[in-house]
Amino acid sequence: MEKIATICVYCGCGCGLFLHVEDGRIVGASPSPAHPVSRGRLCVKGWLAADFVHHPDRLKTPLVRKGGRMVRGSWDEALSLTARRLKEIMEESGPDALAVLTSAKGTNEENYLLAKLARVALKTNNVDHVARLCHAPSVAGLGFALGSGAMTNPIRSLLSADAILVTGSNTTEQHPLIAAHILEAQSRGATLIVADPRRTQMAQLADIHLAPRLGTDVAWTNGILNLIIDMGLVDEDFIIERTEGFTALKDLVVQYTPAAVERITGIPPGDLKKAAVAFGEADRAAVVYAMGTTQHSCGTDNVLALANLVLATGNVGRDGTGIYPLRGHQNVQGACDMGALPSVYPGYQKVEDPAARERMEAAWGTDLPADPGLTAVEMMEAAEEGRLKGIYISGENPMISYPDRDQVMRALSSLEFLTVADIFPTETTALADVVLPVASFAEKDGTFTSTERRVQRVRRAVSPPGEARPEVEVAADLLRRLGVEADYASPEEVMAEISSVTPSYGGISYQRLGISGLSWPCPSRDHPGTEILHQGSFPIGRARFSAVEQQELAEDLDYPLLLTTGRSLFHFHTGTMTRRTHLLDRERPKAAVDINPADAAALGVRSGTMVVVESVRGGIEIEARLTEEVPMGTVYIPFHFAEAPANQLTARTLDPTSKIPCLKRTPVRIRRADS
Amino acid sequence: MTCASAFILRREDLVPLLEELAETLEVVAPVQVEGEAAFATWRGEALALDDKNPLTSPMEFFLPQKEVLFRYVQYSGRYTFSEDPPRARLIFGMRPCDLRALKVIDGIFGADLPDIPYAGRRRSTIIVALNCTTPGEGCFCRSMGSGPGAEGGYDILLTDLGRGYLVEPGSSAGVYILRAHHRHFEEADPGDIKEKERLLALAGDEIVTRGPSLNPEKIREAIDGVDWEEAGRRCLACGGCSLVCPVCHCFSVLDQGVPDGERLRCRDTCILSGFSRMTGGANPRAALGERLRHWYLDKFVYIPEKTGLFGCVGCGRCTRVCLGEVDRWSLFKEAAE
Repeated sequence: MEKIATICVYCGCGCGLFLHVEDGRIVGASPSPAHPVSRGRLCVKGWLAADFVHHPDRLKTPLVRKGGRMVRGSWDEALSLTARRLKEIMEESGPDALAVLTSAKGTNEENYLLAKLARVALKTNNVDHVARLCHAPSVAGLGFALGSGAMTNPIRSLLSADAILVTGSNTTEQHPLIAAHILEAQSRGATLIVADPRRTQMAQLADIHLAPRLGTDVAWTNGILNLIIDMGLVDEDFIIERTEGFTALKDLVVQYTPAAVERITGIPPGDLKKAAVAFGEADRAAVVYAMGTTQHSCGTDNVLALANLVLATGNVGRDGTGIYPLRGHQNVQGACDMGALPSVYPGYQKVEDPAARERMEAAWGTDLPADPGLTAVEMMEAAEEGRLKGIYISGENPMISYPDRDQVMRALSSLEFLTVADIFPTETTALADVVLPVASFAEKDGTFTSTERRVQRVRRAVSPPGEARPEVEVAADLLRRLGVEADYASPEEVMAEISSVTPSYGGISYQRLGISGLSWPCPSRDHPGTEILHQGSFPIGRARFSAVEQQELAEDLDYPLLLTTGRSLFHFHTGTMTRRTHLLDRERPKAAVDINPADAAALGVRSGTMVVVESVRGGIEIEARLTEEVPMGTVYIPFHFAEAPANQLTARTLDPTSKIPCLKRTPVRIRRADS
Repeated sequence: MTCASAFILRREDLVPLLEELAETLEVVAPVQVEGEAAFATWRGEALALDDKNPLTSPMEFFLPQKEVLFRYVQYSGRYTFSEDPPRARLIFGMRPCDLRALKVIDGIFGADLPDIPYAGRRRSTIIVALNCTTPGEGCFCRSMGSGPGAEGGYDILLTDLGRGYLVEPGSSAGVYILRAHHRHFEEADPGDIKEKERLLALAGDEIVTRGPSLNPEKIREAIDGVDWEEAGRRCLACGGCSLVCPVCHCFSVLDQGVPDGERLRCRDTCILSGFSRMTGGANPRAALGERLRHWYLDKFVYIPEKTGLFGCVGCGRCTRVCLGEVDRWSLFKEAAE
């Protein structure tokens, strides 16, 4: 038996684990005791991280659509067809009729090559990935406020915080190892404040639980800031020396009195005051947030409001402080870093910036398109309208994970050509013209970058099944077929190229990535990496306050309940892996809608009753589960389940700045299925 | 070689001995993986015998996290089956706590209706145990009566005396190995046995003075006094305690693949609600606290009833992996006070 050290494939914590390998098969997994995040522990998904790897459903041969049926094809056939069709579409309709969706489940090397495929081979900036649906508002909001959209501090830093505000994050279920750090800090004396409409485990363990109405985050955040200013708890030196725009903000937040905040959010003034005192008086305070903050049509405003809070209290640049956008996939940070976004090259160099474009043109030896491309959700609209004709999708399953499933279906079906690379058949591969079988995390070498900017080595433990290949090879092969030089002998050579074009990865090489990896920015070979950002200065000079206001929230009397969506501890995203992991699927075998018992009584519904949940976009039939975890008027559905897809109901309403769809607040109505 | 019952293996002879053994057996030993000791197939790398006992117990070589019980192939409506024979293996450096776990499992999987795959692996495995002279921080084997010295159940027992290892055979297979490789061993003198006893007494004292002084009887009585609801509130349902426990042995069986495929046996955990949930959805242990309580009852009441031995060997691994920051043993200290 060998024990191969690698990184977990699920959430952004980036836990180190060992895969136990015997006779070419993975027979178990265990936590790496010396790893800085896992510290000898894992969550239930981590313990079972490799359980799906040898599942018989794995895609093992390329599939090509012939006469409406998918038939086995060779790699050569599948890739030459992909290259030929993409080229034909490019010649007929121009490069912007093509797009690439990369995968946050892929390695940095894979994301880099796929983004390069879009820009260099297909000559389009239409490249995006799932970050659009999670932390685009952080990239936009924190990028504006602080100059960087990433987590400011390492996870470990939370251990030395005196107060931690967790909002829009079901941390014990979605980032269990970060929750463990937060709870450890709490048991050492830190005050834990949780703002979440649902009574999650985190909320139940909190010292102060604020339960705002859905979509009212700006109001309560401004309300806390107003009280902090009122009590004289702002860090004036920090504001004067390192920020700008405070006066305008101060003038705005005076409107957010506790009484006004209560009217908007439903939070009792006493609780708001307690939270403001705990956060304001703390020597070191931290803000942790996730999808509950970002997945709103005002997602960027929500992030800016939180940034105001940490800046006004001077909680940036020191151990125990900071703002922590928790990233949901193990490499969504890396996919963003690699420039798998329509507006930036690797290292967030803007495509609109002529100097950056010139640098990349020189490095890649070709002309590059100047205009930012389409974002993920915009791609679906463009496809539906016929402007987008060909897409290469790597390991994404938009049919389940994107909002408004019917529209995604129409969009993908109307494409002239679709290639999907994945490890399992999905609702999206079912629509493809070519399906490419690729290696899972346990079958390839590369790097992942965790939520704390930690670049870590992923190691091949076993061979891919059948003819499946690591996607880094597939992407290089496609690049060559499209006439771009791409002779990489190994992922390590791809990383060498990445570090040569990505300033923040300049010092990163496989030899330097030990147990703890390296945190970017790491600009040179002798640089130790940067765990805490913004210590002396911000990349933009002074940090910026933004006077953000609470948006008016539309109400719809026909749809009196508010639906919010999320993930369960036991499943991940569209369930392609976890629903094939026996113990996880057994734990949560089917979808259910969480309803408050008072709402349920009014509807005549009990636990186990089949109900129909409807929004203006459609309806799904689903089992009801009565729980006090959701407040009256709010219902909750995890979106993992294809048989009751929550995203059938959600809207494409986009945040104007970051183009994230509003997945967290959808007006719905519920009736018994038999009525 | 004489018929002495104890020998000395010089430190420099250890690797040559293992190399000889590895010619015919798969030698499993603690080696360094990412800065920590872990049991893996030994391929000549440096041994990590001085580190603390690896987080994953060598019990995984008897009760794998996942094993293929057999493969099935359907042909013209008839099924044929195939299974792999167990490997000939030598586990080197197994500690007394894990050895005790093996004895407990023998009492369960080796009882009236023996578990065939387990029995096969048991028969084909040689155990070279290592007495614990450097116990880890959270260890309390002495309180459980399972360490720091091994009492039977091994083929060969080693004790690190500094200048070399004291070697004591514990089975005919052990005697056979010592004879076959006799050139590495010299006869021990009575002083060496005394030295072993001295070192083990020291280690035992260290465990008692440093760790919680709990005895299994006290824990059994304290179970009812623990606030399980509160413990359950903090539990993050990772299942780590039961996945890392050398005595935990629950499994589920599933067939993967139609029409051809494999029947798999996977480690299961009673910390998950699906473990005790019935088909209709009812669950006799619906709350996490109730499941935690059950876990302890199994260790301190049910397993002792079945095997005469406690289901906890004091290895301390459950506290090391607990994601909810629950210090497992302080639960009982509070309840006992």
